[in-house]
Amino acid sequence: MGQAVATISNIVILSSMYILVALGFAFLFNMLGLLNLAHGAIYMIGAYIAFILIAALGFPFWASLVLATVVVALLGVLLERICFRPFVGDFNRSVMICVALTVLFQTMVNIMAGAKTLALPPIARGVLRFGPVSLSYERIITFVIGFVLLVAFVLFVNKTKWGQQMQAIAQNTDGASLQGISVHKISALASALGCGLAALAGCLMGAFLGIGPFMGDQMLVKALILVILAGIGSIGGIFLAGLLMGALNAVLPLVTNGAASEAVAVAVVVVLLLIRPKGFFGHEA
Amino acid sequence: MKNEASPSTNIQTATAGKRWSAASYGGLLAVLALWPVFYRSTYLMHVLILCFIYVLASVSLRTITVSGQFPLAHGAFMGIGAYIAGMASKWLGWPGWITIPGGALGAMIIGVIIGYPFARLRALYYAMGSLFFGIGVLNFIAAFGKYTGGYSGLMGIHPIFVGSKMPYYYFFLGLTFVSALALYRFEFSRIGDNWKAIAQSHLVASSVGINEGFYRIFAVGVGCFFAGLAGAGYAHYNLVISSSSFSFLATLWLVMYVLVGGIDSFGGPIVGTFILFLVPEMVRDLKYYSPFVSVAVLVLVVYLVPKGLVGLPRLLWPNAGGQRTTGKED
Repeated sequence: MGQAVATISNIVILSSMYILVALGFAFLFNMLGLLNLAHGAIYMIGAYIAFILIAALGFPFWASLVLATVVVALLGVLLERICFRPFVGDFNRSVMICVALTVLFQTMVNIMAGAKTLALPPIARGVLRFGPVSLSYERIITFVIGFVLLVAFVLFVNKTKWGQQMQAIAQNTDGASLQGISVHKISALASALGCGLAALAGCLMGAFLGIGPFMGDQMLVKALILVILAGIGSIGGIFLAGLLMGALNAVLPLVTNGAASEAVAVAVVVVLLLIRPKGFFGHEA
Repeated sequence: MKNEASPSTNIQTATAGKRWSAASYGGLLAVLALWPVFYRSTYLMHVLILCFIYVLASVSLRTITVSGQFPLAHGAFMGIGAYIAGMASKWLGWPGWITIPGGALGAMIIGVIIGYPFARLRALYYAMGSLFFGIGVLNFIAAFGKYTGGYSGLMGIHPIFVGSKMPYYYFFLGLTFVSALALYRFEFSRIGDNWKAIAQSHLVASSVGINEGFYRIFAVGVGCFFAGLAGAGYAHYNLVISSSSFSFLATLWLVMYVLVGGIDSFGGPIVGTFILFLVPEMVRDLKYYSPFVSVAVLVLVVYLVPKGLVGLPRLLWPNAGGQRTTGKED
């Protein structure tokens, strides 16, 4: 029973983190057609900014979390203006600039903090017990934050004017701008949101797993998988794909050893892609 | 309605393949073959050997892109060749002249088998499919720890030359040169013309009778053969291999070498590999700061010579080499 609860909580937390990162990635992908290979580095930078705030400047965890998210969101606006927008149609150049960004961030972090895994202080200490089951407060709070953000995100995209403008741009950029939607401003907003979410996920996951300069690499791959599985233009699909990935990554290590579980997860993805290459929910179906 | 910014149509693959003269290739070969006579440096030899291996891998990656596909699993195919050769050498004791072609063949066969279902994916989806395949392969290899050494790596591969690095150096120089020659001949032959036709418009190509599936898989087979060759050679040189050296990161850097050098030109990956691999080695003294040099190169290419460094001479000396007689705007 305890194992089942732990597994379920793992699934839920992993899924929500993957979805948070993938949503930001998907935004840029849907709206600008940009494969942001630097998203993993942004995720990582968020965690390190929080680390600097906590360890070097002594800020409390919550303040650091919020501050890191805001700083990275602003960084996202800057990046959109300088690095993403000029290369929108050009895959080759956008790949190069994203790799350059990733190497830049990773090197900066490596120089400042070294390559060792560092620890962020946990969000909360202590464990909640009811009956035979115990869950750490850390997990509960992480999940709650993730869940609230995801719900807020969905509401934002579907109910607010900005969110609808984003959807319009994702569906048909020219048509949207003919309707008077400012593609540049909304893209900047999307970039800010996406990078902010990634940074937040970075802080939360960092509190769990520790932070390192290359923590973003694996997360980027997961985000890529989610976005491709879901299909271009689909937000709901990302939730489902995120649940699937979270489940695979939480359950498979129990059944087989570490490397094989990764292999099986990726094999599942490859098979799904071969069945339906355009993703299961996207616009290009 | 299709989104204008949709990425699936915008991956630029190798276009008509501009050529360097035989003189420039010959000159390069001469320099590379003769400098050890005048200057002794084991370190430089080591660096150049690795460079040759990566040149082989990146040129073969570009060959696949000539057919309109953008493979993101090339590092993994190097890994497949390396592990086949390494395991055959370690567990079966086979000598290098069997294991190296064996590794290349193995990579080619797996490439063709995988290429078959992937051949119907277009552009971005092919890239993603191959990406995930590459990642899966590495994990798969690491999972069979008993035979492959798992995450810590496979050790105890037998070397093909004992003693100094010099025979290795000339071996890899020769191997890379011959392979590059073969790839060059592929690209500028009827087969290469078919590839370019498919890349430009698969519908028109099919309508004139070019068997798209066959040529796409053929391209993948050729590319993977040489990737496996590079990997198998690396295994016999380094004597230790681990799955982490063939990860997506490795593939990404191979792609960088091609893009930075210039995807449109056959010599592009050669230039790109030399610059992006050698320059960080030369500024090794900067230690942690040396990646910044790579970043600078990447940024320079992106903003100044987006078509690749092969375009740099044209940028610096725009009037050299005479004028075109066709009157076309460059």
